[in-house]
Amino acid sequence: MGNREKLKDLFVDVFLIEPSEFRFDLTREEVNTWDSLGVVSMAVGIQETFGYHMRPEEAVAIKGVGDIIKVLESKGILFE
Amino acid sequence: MYLLNESEVIRDIGRLDRAWSEPETFVFLSDRSGVPIEWVEQRMALFPESFREGHFVLMTSGSTGRPKLVVGLRKRAERLAAALHVVQDSEPAKETAVLLPLTYCYAFVNQWLWARLKGRKLVLTAGFGQPDAVLKTLAEAKDCLLCLVGAMLPMFAAHIPEGVSFPGVARLHFAGGRFPQEKLGAILRYFPNARIFNNYGCAEAMPRLTMRSLEESNEAANIGRPIPGVEMKVGDTGEMLFRSEYGAVGMCDDGGLFALGENDWIPTGDLGEQLDGGCWRIKGRTNEVFKRFGEKISLLQLLETVQTQWRGQAAFYRECDLSGEDGHVLVLAPEATKGQVQEILRAFRQSHPRTHWPLRVESIVTMPTLPNGKVDYGALAASEGKTIHWRQRI
Repeated sequence: MGNREKLKDLFVDVFLIEPSEFRFDLTREEVNTWDSLGVVSMAVGIQETFGYHMRPEEAVAIKGVGDIIKVLESKGILFE
Repeated sequence: MYLLNESEVIRDIGRLDRAWSEPETFVFLSDRSGVPIEWVEQRMALFPESFREGHFVLMTSGSTGRPKLVVGLRKRAERLAAALHVVQDSEPAKETAVLLPLTYCYAFVNQWLWARLKGRKLVLTAGFGQPDAVLKTLAEAKDCLLCLVGAMLPMFAAHIPEGVSFPGVARLHFAGGRFPQEKLGAILRYFPNARIFNNYGCAEAMPRLTMRSLEESNEAANIGRPIPGVEMKVGDTGEMLFRSEYGAVGMCDDGGLFALGENDWIPTGDLGEQLDGGCWRIKGRTNEVFKRFGEKISLLQLLETVQTQWRGQAAFYRECDLSGEDGHVLVLAPEATKGQVQEILRAFRQSHPRTHWPLRVESIVTMPTLPNGKVDYGALAASEGKTIHWRQRI
């Protein structure tokens, strides 16, 4: 499974969205379950899935799926 | 004062009749309570002279898992059995089949004592430990009064062949937990001729406080009206309190023995409210309502959400999350499929904020239960063989 699929599965699992709701340009405002606890849950999920420990300030600053990809790619975790 | 074991009574039911007729107080104990006899004997030694005649003592661990001896006055229990006979219109019932442990206050008063007082036939069974005997007893039942707890319904589904019904059951009572409203279709198929009642009470009430007939409400949490001789009110913290002329006169646990006065308002352990028309509605156990990140969580409400999607058993146990905040874990039985869990999670997302979601969703083949049929929450948390379907990662 590629990193794009892994990220999609993680999102669906953490925010309990439908797979069909997921987009790579999805923003935080569009997901009503992306609250402060969701941020923590997402950060833990990213560590488990991609092995990167996101700092709290990084996790809070994320505004959408694209920002997560940017953070992970800056750490050498590629999505192409 | 002396100990009377359930196995002794099962071998010779006359033993219980004699104990009831003799003045000396007896402690009626299940052989499967798991509580050391020494613990019971140490508590018995605390009993004052005034409790040593004319009383009876039952053990309960209820939903707390902590053993407690409950002291009843025989005259009060007889008055309660007589009152129940009237309010539950039990006159047409000519016999009662016992599927619950007789040491369970519900079966003891609603069935054994009622049968004794009213001269009805008592049919003992070993419950679903011997499902064939249960099937035979119910098939042969005639004008029968039956007492069940909701947790037994999965056993009916597991052991009773499809299409089999028991038309000889004329009165059917549920108590010992939430009324299984969502399983009503199955209940009516099993017992097509029964008048059905939701009974509510607690060990301290010895055991009955309110009752409602099935027709009065389609809401599981509606427990009906207090029976004559029982008063109820809501305390400052929303807890339901009662005063009953049938209630226990004393309790004894690890904290020692304490007497319950006639005018004392006693907590039921549940939160509730009185509805228009006089019925009462349960809002959850006092220990099932808690704050999580400042939000009030009612496990009863969450259970109702689960039951919109899940027809099996469901229960929550409490656990702290990684930050030390109070949380809860959902356990389903029997084993759930991925699709079923997805439906439950979807319902959580639609109906509740994330703070209300369980820390995990687990499933297990069989829900661990206490001898009285209630879920054993202590064992639930520690049960091996659970499948983790989903977790919040916090």
